[in-house]
Amino acid sequence: MKRVSILLLLVLSLALATGVAGAQNIELTYWTHTDDNRTIIENRYIEEFQELYPNVTIKRVVNEAAKMGDLMLTAFSANNAPDLFNLPIEQEYGYMMHYRVAPVDYEAIGYKDAQEMIDQYLAGTFDPVTMDGQIYGLPLELTNWSIYINKNIFRDAGLDPEKDYPKTWEEMIEVADKLTLRDGEIITRRGFDFRYPYYLVAMLPMVEQLGGQLLSDDGKTAIVNDEAWLQVFEWFRTWGPHGRNLGSPTYTSARKIFNMNNNDIGMCLTGFYQQGRIRIDNPEFYDSGEWMVVPYPVFENAVNDVACSYYGHYMMVNAQTSPEKQEWAWRFIAYMLDHPWEYLETVNIIQPRGDLLADPRYMELPYMNVFMDDMERGHIVFLHENGFQFERFIKEAIESVMLSNMPSEEALDILRERIQEVLDDQY
Amino acid sequence: MFVIPSLILFSAFSFFPIMNAFYESFFNRNLLSLRPPRFVGWDNYTYLFRSKDFWLSVQNTLIFTLGTFLPLLVFSLILAVFIMSISRFRRFFQMAFYSPAVLSSVVAALIWLLIFDPRGLANQGMNALLGTAGINYNWLSTTGMLRLSTIIVYFWKYIGYFTVIFVSGIGSIPDTLGEAALIDGANRWTLFWHVTFPLLKPTTMLVSIMTMIQCLKTFSTQYMFTSAGAPTRPINVITLNIYNTAIKDYRIGRATAMSILLFVVMFVFTWLQLRVSRTEDVSYT
Repeated sequence: MKRVSILLLLVLSLALATGVAGAQNIELTYWTHTDDNRTIIENRYIEEFQELYPNVTIKRVVNEAAKMGDLMLTAFSANNAPDLFNLPIEQEYGYMMHYRVAPVDYEAIGYKDAQEMIDQYLAGTFDPVTMDGQIYGLPLELTNWSIYINKNIFRDAGLDPEKDYPKTWEEMIEVADKLTLRDGEIITRRGFDFRYPYYLVAMLPMVEQLGGQLLSDDGKTAIVNDEAWLQVFEWFRTWGPHGRNLGSPTYTSARKIFNMNNNDIGMCLTGFYQQGRIRIDNPEFYDSGEWMVVPYPVFENAVNDVACSYYGHYMMVNAQTSPEKQEWAWRFIAYMLDHPWEYLETVNIIQPRGDLLADPRYMELPYMNVFMDDMERGHIVFLHENGFQFERFIKEAIESVMLSNMPSEEALDILRERIQEVLDDQY
Repeated sequence: MFVIPSLILFSAFSFFPIMNAFYESFFNRNLLSLRPPRFVGWDNYTYLFRSKDFWLSVQNTLIFTLGTFLPLLVFSLILAVFIMSISRFRRFFQMAFYSPAVLSSVVAALIWLLIFDPRGLANQGMNALLGTAGINYNWLSTTGMLRLSTIIVYFWKYIGYFTVIFVSGIGSIPDTLGEAALIDGANRWTLFWHVTFPLLKPTTMLVSIMTMIQCLKTFSTQYMFTSAGAPTRPINVITLNIYNTAIKDYRIGRATAMSILLFVVMFVFTWLQLRVSRTEDVSYT
């Protein structure tokens, strides 16, 4: 009897010990987008964090940036989303509006309250992720895009990159035409090309330069100032295969091939982070100084001096995960983000923290003044619960004009009708 | 008794999702929202019947199906007859034709994206074939060429699959029938038209049903092409519209209503084809 009691006691103790240990073990899943430089440092942060807190295990899952939006939505709709993640704010906005993400746990990340945290960052940083007085994300990066130039290609076309770079969209067509090489109708070297899926970031500001808007100020009417939209649509027709044949979404992404310096792209539109990627992909080109960055152009008849919109990648925490996991997720996020200089130097991404921006070394970084000036001329990307959907509608409209040669008026009418239908939908 | 496991599996993985989709189609539910869905009756269906976007998808699906279905059926039969008519390299040809079918649709689309790139093989080949220089055929841009490109990808991917089905159909016809016809004075052509082809009708029916369903369900090629920058409108087939409505627009109720309509169309086509084929069953006993 005594032996049986001892055995039972042992089994119970073992079960209890296992149970306690199990309850303390936290496994977090973190989804993010591809970036080789960031992967290196974040994997190290994970190791360090796990050493500090042996009960926490973090699984970092990397997805292609273009697929992240779809994957995340599918995961959330199946109630199987990661514990923490980052996406561009225009995609994250819907998650916040539908309370799918948790408010920041200020205490877990070492702040007394929201104000103390806000004070550490650039004014307005948290505006896009604030709802009903709560803040729902911490900024991993705030990014805007300017024009990167390959100086060799300019010189090859008989242009001086320092003087002849395009200041207006009209000049962009002329300069790109000089830089473009063709085999008959087939472009073998583009002067410049856009980042086509990102119409809210890069194309909507072109409309705004001409006084147009996507929605009226009260948010109830789609498309303000038809003339502005039509001018931009016609500009894209001129740009595409039915016009001067200077570029198209069906060619390889300009940003991706720029780094290779293979004489196939003269200019591309991208952010400060591109410098880190050039350094990794082609250190020789990076060190050569044969590239430069110039401001986002404006139309000659612009009524507003608007640059490319900036957007943020915010770290967010799944509201459906357990409170304990949420707390650890915020702790881990704070740990990672507490290395703003390393993110800047290694990954070339900018956390809008006061201490970072005030550092004299910050403005000494290559072409940082261009990005900062453009950021001042720009504004945060268009944010709306249905922003992701509107971007698809704009993409369809522009590509119908540019590639299928649809009359601009017809494309605009379809765009207006589709956006208005979403706005009028009472659901 | 023996069919119970398959009935359970069918109920769990096919019948239940179909019924659930039908149920969902009567609700307005935002995919991101945690709010309970709102019952809207037939509203999602009436919306679709009024929607220009939906009818454009129907039109695109029909164009794709007609453009793919007939060539697939005809050429897979021709290739099967060719394979069965040769004695050497028969297995090699079967494997060669079948190999694209084992590739995932996404990989196939990626391969063809490279081919259709303005500097890719498609333009080079067409220019060499037509004796032109530097013409861009805009495989991924203009409405007509873009539709043709999706048809080519699908044709390439599935031609081998249906050829193999026809090969097995031809192989199941007893040799004695052909030998008797040859003794009676039939030539190869009349043997095919008056003996082989009529006896292949069940296989032809099977292939035509499968081809049509495959064509109506087409998605990956259109999705990959539009993701790579091709304009959406010319190839916005129903399945792509369902995907965008659910995943990009978050309207799962409207997307499931579209799925149910597509299911009904596929069901009706299959039923019609089966009814027609019932009178033409073949028996060798």
